[in-house]
Amino acid sequence: MQVAIAEDSVLLREGLARLLGEAGFDVIARCRDAEELRQLLKAQRPEVVIVDIRLPPTHTDEGLQAAVEIRSAYPDVGVLVLSQYVELGLAMKLLADSAEGVGYLLKDRISDVPDFLASVRRVATGGSAVDPTIVSTLLSRRRSDDPLAQLTPREREVLELMAEGTSNQGIADRLVITLRAVEKYVSSIFTKLGLPATGSESRRVLAVLLFLRS
Amino acid sequence: MPTTPTEPGRTAAATAPNALLWFITVVLLAGFGGSLAMISPSDIAPVHAALILWIALSYTVSGLVAWWHRPANRIGPLMVLTGSVTLASTLYWSDNAVLHTVGVALDVMVLVLIVHVFLAFPTGRLRGRFERLVLTVGYMAALGAQLAVMMLDGLGPQQQLAVADQSEIAIVIHGVELVVISLVALVAVGILVARRRAGGRPLRRSFSLLIDSFALGLMAIAVLLLVGVLGGPAFPTIQQVSLAVLGLAPIAFLAGLLDARLARTSVGDLVMDLRGEPADLQTPLARALRDPSLELVYWLPQFGSWADQDGKEVELPTDGARATTLIERDGNPVAALVHDPALRDEPELLDAVTAAAAIALENGRLQAELRANLDELHGSRARVIQAGQKERQRLERDLHDGAQQRLVALSLDLGVLETRLRDDPDANAVLAKARDEVAVSLAELRDVARGLHPAVLSAHGLAVALESLAAHATVPVRLTVELDGRIAEPVEVAAYYVVSEGLANIGKHARATSATVDVRRDGHQIAVEVVDDGIGGADTERGSGLRGLADRVEALGGRLQVWTPHGRGTRVRAELPCK
Repeated sequence: MQVAIAEDSVLLREGLARLLGEAGFDVIARCRDAEELRQLLKAQRPEVVIVDIRLPPTHTDEGLQAAVEIRSAYPDVGVLVLSQYVELGLAMKLLADSAEGVGYLLKDRISDVPDFLASVRRVATGGSAVDPTIVSTLLSRRRSDDPLAQLTPREREVLELMAEGTSNQGIADRLVITLRAVEKYVSSIFTKLGLPATGSESRRVLAVLLFLRS
Repeated sequence: MPTTPTEPGRTAAATAPNALLWFITVVLLAGFGGSLAMISPSDIAPVHAALILWIALSYTVSGLVAWWHRPANRIGPLMVLTGSVTLASTLYWSDNAVLHTVGVALDVMVLVLIVHVFLAFPTGRLRGRFERLVLTVGYMAALGAQLAVMMLDGLGPQQQLAVADQSEIAIVIHGVELVVISLVALVAVGILVARRRAGGRPLRRSFSLLIDSFALGLMAIAVLLLVGVLGGPAFPTIQQVSLAVLGLAPIAFLAGLLDARLARTSVGDLVMDLRGEPADLQTPLARALRDPSLELVYWLPQFGSWADQDGKEVELPTDGARATTLIERDGNPVAALVHDPALRDEPELLDAVTAAAAIALENGRLQAELRANLDELHGSRARVIQAGQKERQRLERDLHDGAQQRLVALSLDLGVLETRLRDDPDANAVLAKARDEVAVSLAELRDVARGLHPAVLSAHGLAVALESLAAHATVPVRLTVELDGRIAEPVEVAAYYVVSEGLANIGKHARATSATVDVRRDGHQIAVEVVDDGIGGADTERGSGLRGLADRVEALGGRLQVWTPHGRGTRVRAELPCK
């Protein structure tokens, strides 16, 4: 599985490359800024790129700009955006049209190696990865007539994992329940929230996020 | 409050040459006596004699009074001289050959002196080289040509200067002389008309009109002389009317010179105006001095510069087109009037007006100083906040690029180790604990950094930054951001803090169930509103952070308003100027 990294901090860039390399990824490029990444993509198509949101020269939104560009120019390349802060507004910007092959995680998540590698693989294969902070922010939001109140605690857990982009199998593994049970919870949640059933797992991420945000 | 106009004005009155004036008066009285004594034995027409003496009397008395009241003004002595020469010219009537000769010699000179008085009014000085040239020609004709005529045996047998018997030539020269003097009179009329046309002179209109009308006297001189040369029939009547008019002129001059009534009226009006402590001093001063172009400027000692009423720095004019009158207090300048140079003709009015306005001027100067100080303060407050913001931004950046990156890299290494030592549960537990510690540190550091400066704001703008704020609020927030792209960073930062502080207050005090945040462009300003449906009655001075918020908003020239009626929610509205 080919991966490219765009990160200006040498410590992190090399650390990430080593981590991914040890996990069996083929790290084809270690870019210091967004421009290097753009040049790379003209010649090669990794399955996923990992981009720091703050990149030189201004350290503001170069990484995000590059991510949005790559998403529209190379839909088959997965984009995982890393940041020191996660912002709801940016998440919605990044996921504007679809959550397919896109991820937005706090940098801290790298240290939970198995989880992080799973996220990279998911994004590379067209799935999604949404930072739990964003999901919990959305869930903790108070609403006047809260449809979330109808959910059972188990359903709530499933909803969270679903919103983070976890697959049904992933949810089953995490909660130590059967795949069949997960499917039952998911359908129940959609009914309670009045959401139309969607086939793909990444499409339902966007549906759930938009619902939570409204 | 002394003023320093170019004319010392009445301030020199104490040094009036009283003794000299008395002496001149006595000499003149003797002269008039002598003159009257000469009339009866001569064959001069009584009407003519009376008119000549009338002119002499009118000029000498008016001149003496003017000299007495305006010792610094040359017009008084000039009028006395004119009257005296007129008186001396009556020696013409004397039987004594020498005295008669003197009288003849001075006969025409009187007319040129009168022209001189007309041109020199009201300051006693001629204006410009041309006027001096015209009068020089006049004096040369009146004295030089007259003497030449007399030497060539013109102007009657009694005069004693004749050295050659050339009366034919003498008649011609005399004719030329009179024509030249009549031309001088006509040119003088032209000069007076041109001066009036030049306009803008704040002289008292009604009086200047009256004085101008006496310029007709100059026309009369010209006509008189021309008729004399041509020998026209109406000679005696024209002469008498002209002399009568010329005799009235000095009285009008004197009245114009001494008139303080109008000045007093305008100064009185000024005092009434100033009683209302007007914010604008310039307009009443301009009205009192009848100079619409008048500008009032203040001296700001701490800035070492002149400033207009708004506290804006100005330069005093140095060219001759505008005159400046300094107004001083204890030897230090307080203010200055920049005005039409013609006002220097009325030093007394200038004195009276500035004296009346003195206190108001001091007051006005203090206000200009205050405004300049406020501007300075305002600017420095904006700079202090701006500098603080920049510093916080720098610190956030340092944290982000330094400590935060290192900690992330460290936790990554710990994570890698953890996977490698999967089979050693003890090591694994220690590593997991260490990783948790780092995660907590990172979270804390993130909060510190975000508190220093919301990086998302500079990177992605107000809409994105406010979305996060609204999402973290303790009540449901309806957020509306209607902006056409990015706005100036200081405005973005201030708007962000208004919303941040507003939402924080709602969480802490309002007991609200929902809130709305509304950010939109409203002409040349950005309006930010945070409204809740809570209990209201917020303390706007203590604890709520609203005071600091107001500072931030006001430093940008904006304003912060808070409505917080008990039981009816709280509305915080900031208006931030933004082009």
